[in-house]
Amino acid sequence: MILVIDALNRHRFGPVIDDMFKLRARVFHDRMGWDVTVRNGREFDLFDDLDPAYLVALDDDYNVVGCNRMLQTTGPHMLTDVFQDILCGEPPLRSATIWENTRFCIDTERLKRPGNSRSVSYTACELMAGIAEYAFESGISDVISVVDPAMDRILKRCDNAPYGYIGKTVQMGKTKALAALSDITQERIARIRNFAGITGDIFADENEVADALAARTAGDAMTPELRDYCDEQVAAAATDDERQAALALQEKISQMFRSGRDCNA
Amino acid sequence: MNKRMDLIDLASTPDGQRDFVAHLNKLCDTLGVEHATYFAVNPISGKMHGFTTYPDEWKAHYVHHGLQQFDPTLRSAARSVAPVDWNRLTNDTNYDRVFRDAHDFGLPSQGVTVPIRGMFGETGLLCACTSTTATEWARLKREIIGSLLNNAVHLHDTVMNSEPLMKTLRHPNLSSRELEILQWVAAGKSQQDVGDILSISPRTVEVHLRSSREKLCTISTAQAVGRAVSLGLILPG
Repeated sequence: MILVIDALNRHRFGPVIDDMFKLRARVFHDRMGWDVTVRNGREFDLFDDLDPAYLVALDDDYNVVGCNRMLQTTGPHMLTDVFQDILCGEPPLRSATIWENTRFCIDTERLKRPGNSRSVSYTACELMAGIAEYAFESGISDVISVVDPAMDRILKRCDNAPYGYIGKTVQMGKTKALAALSDITQERIARIRNFAGITGDIFADENEVADALAARTAGDAMTPELRDYCDEQVAAAATDDERQAALALQEKISQMFRSGRDCNA
Repeated sequence: MNKRMDLIDLASTPDGQRDFVAHLNKLCDTLGVEHATYFAVNPISGKMHGFTTYPDEWKAHYVHHGLQQFDPTLRSAARSVAPVDWNRLTNDTNYDRVFRDAHDFGLPSQGVTVPIRGMFGETGLLCACTSTTATEWARLKREIIGSLLNNAVHLHDTVMNSEPLMKTLRHPNLSSRELEILQWVAAGKSQQDVGDILSISPRTVEVHLRSSREKLCTISTAQAVGRAVSLGLILPG
């Protein structure tokens, strides 16, 4: 499911935003080696202070498994600034009906863990469909996406090929970056949905998500340091056995915290 | 898909004599909504620009009770990226405070706020509202939303350009690709021709033209070509 977070409801989803920044750090800093600033394991920059809209893909347990960031091209956005190289120093497109899509990524690691009901490809398509549908509803007719060549290939493979590119492909860290144009039409939405077999409404009700997260937090009183430690152990596991052991440890510790809380009550 | 693209031209009235309220009235007539409001603060001079088609009694009541401090259709909605349907604001703690009064004045509760982000990061907004059923409102909104977006930015750019300093700072910054395409259009080439000449898709040509029109504060491509020629950005065809 896709949760839309913007300036109006951001205060309700602090932990989701936090997990999203951690995912972005793993993808854009650790894996792709882009020159992004990571503080305390989280990647965020000045554009996150400009009240962007985020589309966050959540799994059945409300874990963050993908995200993106939307900004209007009429105001400050990444192509006016840090992605200037892509445009060879040229000014970017500016239109009321064009949005910029950046920091588009999927948590392939979490989705590949045993027991996760969603595939990487389905989640990617769900997020792409979410972007297209949210933009369509908002009166947007084109989206310009800054992606790496791997994501560009995923777009093409999912029957969601861009119709054009702006500027050139530039080296960025361990990979490259380019700016792709997608028309926002019902035809494109139907193609993505058809490819992945997506039916029905993909958008999460924000009240339901907020309630579910509150219930989960109440049951999970583990300290942030321990939670981070457990996440790190899971991420650092080199073999399946190590991973299973790390997950078991995480479960055991959270059980201890839960029962400890009950004793105090 | 059945979207209308009605852009009301602001360039037809001479500088200094622009009647923005009349412009909003025309916008309401064209799009089939009851009322429209535009609001923005100039980022440099700090001057507030606000125009509305609301009746004077409501304006007086609104200002007297300082409702602008609470109005969720202004304060929170301006920080959104997507247009905000007023349905989404019903949980706002200040919603009742403004909408109960508005209801007493017989004003609509179905509406949308289109947030605007300007070149200097400044925000503005265009609100449109109308009294109708929820179903009819959903249909109408879908039909006019693209026009509202384009009109909001066109109006905002014109208002911001109405101050000489801003006008100087906002000299249109077109990319060489945008200028190249305008030059071909000035030479009489169609979008398809230009796409073939430059080996890009016709839709890529179209987004460059759309961007050029917006940067030049014009509503038609012909007007954009004219303005680009007069500014010396391209040569006469």
